[in-house]
Amino acid sequence: MTDWTRRQIGGLAGGAMLAVAAPHFVRGQGRAKVVVIGGGIGGATVARYLGDMKSIDVTLVEPNSTHVTCFFSNLYLAGLRSLASLTFGLETLAEGHDITIIRDSAVAIDPAGKAVELRGGTKLSYDRLVVAPGIALKFGEIEGYDEDAAKIMPHAWVAGPQSELLRQQIKSMDDGGVFVIAAPPNPFRCPPAPYERASLVAYYFKQFKPKSKILILDAKDKFSGQELFQDAWSRHYPGMIEWLPSQFIGAIKAVDVAARSVVTEGETFRAAVANIIPAQKAGLIAEKAGLTDASGWCPVDPVTFESTLQPGVHVIGDSIVGGDMPKSAFSANSQAKACAFAVAASLTGSPQFPPHLFNACYTFLAPDDAFTNALTFAPEGGRLKTVKMFISKVGESPETRRRTALHAVGWYSAFTADVFGGGS
Amino acid sequence: MKRVRRAAIVSRVKGLAAEIRWLLGVSLCAILLSAANSAAADVSQGAQIAATCASCHHPTDGGQAIPPIATLDEQAIVKAMLAFRASESPSHVMHAVALSLSDDELAATARYLADRANAGRQP
Ligand SMILES: Cc1cc2nc3c(=O)[nH]c(=O)nc-3n(C[C@H](O)[C@H](O)[C@H](O)COP(=O)(O)OP(=O)(O)OC[C@H]3O[C@@H](n4cnc5c(N)ncnc54)[C@H](O)[C@@H]3O)c2cc1C
Repeated sequence: MTDWTRRQIGGLAGGAMLAVAAPHFVRGQGRAKVVVIGGGIGGATVARYLGDMKSIDVTLVEPNSTHVTCFFSNLYLAGLRSLASLTFGLETLAEGHDITIIRDSAVAIDPAGKAVELRGGTKLSYDRLVVAPGIALKFGEIEGYDEDAAKIMPHAWVAGPQSELLRQQIKSMDDGGVFVIAAPPNPFRCPPAPYERASLVAYYFKQFKPKSKILILDAKDKFSGQELFQDAWSRHYPGMIEWLPSQFIGAIKAVDVAARSVVTEGETFRAAVANIIPAQKAGLIAEKAGLTDASGWCPVDPVTFESTLQPGVHVIGDSIVGGDMPKSAFSANSQAKACAFAVAASLTGSPQFPPHLFNACYTFLAPDDAFTNALTFAPEGGRLKTVKMFISKVGESPETRRRTALHAVGWYSAFTADVFGGGS
Repeated sequence: MKRVRRAAIVSRVKGLAAEIRWLLGVSLCAILLSAANSAAADVSQGAQIAATCASCHHPTDGGQAIPPIATLDEQAIVKAMLAFRASESPSHVMHAVALSLSDDELAATARYLADRANAGRQP
């Protein structure tokens, strides 16, 4: 277990002084303690915002030393971004934002005793816990698709080695091959992303393997941004992408790894490269800690993101029952901020205001053709409801789309600085 | 008609801003008295809402396609936000954001951002 902490002697003295000079911030004896499980988008954001308040001890538990963003990983698959440019170390968070980072995994949570147990044996006590473990893939739901099968038919739905594997396969595929994407049922991480992936891989094929085809076998009958995607596919990649909804092919039942084929109720599809994106549920620790309901996701209070099942434990990001909020990095970041202010209010008595929850996703159709949606949400009747929604339209000028693609790049740089604490 | 309404909102915001400025003056004294607090992040309403801006606006980079807001003054922010509130073009993202803020929230956010910019300009 590596224990990075920015607070060396000087920092510790500062922390102690703060506690003395501002006793009204202190609950009990020392500073209030928050443990955050998961240093992905939601977890890094909540740790950063709590750390910056300087009135709370923040410990972030994350097994990986770096985070590779899923957003923009489709650009990597198309050869348009390096994986290094999508990789962020957690040191900046530790150094610049007063957070202790422990490189380990949480294996158990004791909500009654307010403690977390780590794989390495450490026990951490907390006043409030924030859980942000992202998704778990439902291996086994498609017969034959397990972790070993994913080494041959990658999901690439958690960015990193899986993305590299899929990129390698796409690169070494012969021209004229069929790239099959099995798209998951709702709800899942980033609703437009399977279709963005099809678009950007088509962009790559168009340049280097123009006889190749992309087949999307969908567990659904419609998808997010469908009109915008289908319009773009006919403009940029005519005849290259075929989308087969569940009503035509039936459910995706099995994969045959040796034959690289995907079996649906009605048919078997042979692939040169198969990208299987299985159904999803909340990260495993959430399930283990009794934070999930029958849906497999974590129900939360939509103002504070406190679990409705385990008091004192907050859940943010992809793991939650999101209501109208999609499972996106933007949502996770937005929820994390609302959660940080709610946690601070409960521990230090700082003011809390109605949360402003947003989602604005940039989706690429081609490198210089992107669209956005922008949604605002508010709690209503215990769930997160959409208040306003705006989305790019079919028929927008190429100039508008080009500008949106530029905005996407600007967004990426600002967003990752916000999450991982760079640039400020 | 629209213009008149906008002007009314601006002047209301001005009044609010003056009030907020006074309040901030008072709390600034309190902070100066307990100097150890000075490094802690603000948790005022303006700061909490401004945190959402940081999801898209880079804290330091000026050259990105999304315009920087770190150096804008209060009036410029209020004016821009009222224009975004009125029209889906040029940015439906900002239109959605602007519609979600009440006049009071907008005033508090603009005040916070402008104060932070001012503090940054001081040597
Ligand atoms: C191809 C693709 C494209 C996407 N594009 C976009 C986009 O353009 N815009 C957008 O907003 N979103 C996009 N997303 C979605 C976005 O990546 C996710 O919604 C986001 O990462 C969710 O954040 P999270 O914090 O919930 O989970 P994650 O970011 O996955 O973080 C979870 C973290 O928890 C850690 N963890 C898990 N279990 C434990 C444990 N027991 N102990 C300690 N740590 C643990 C993991 O190691 C991980 O670091 C995309 C996703 C994909 C797959």
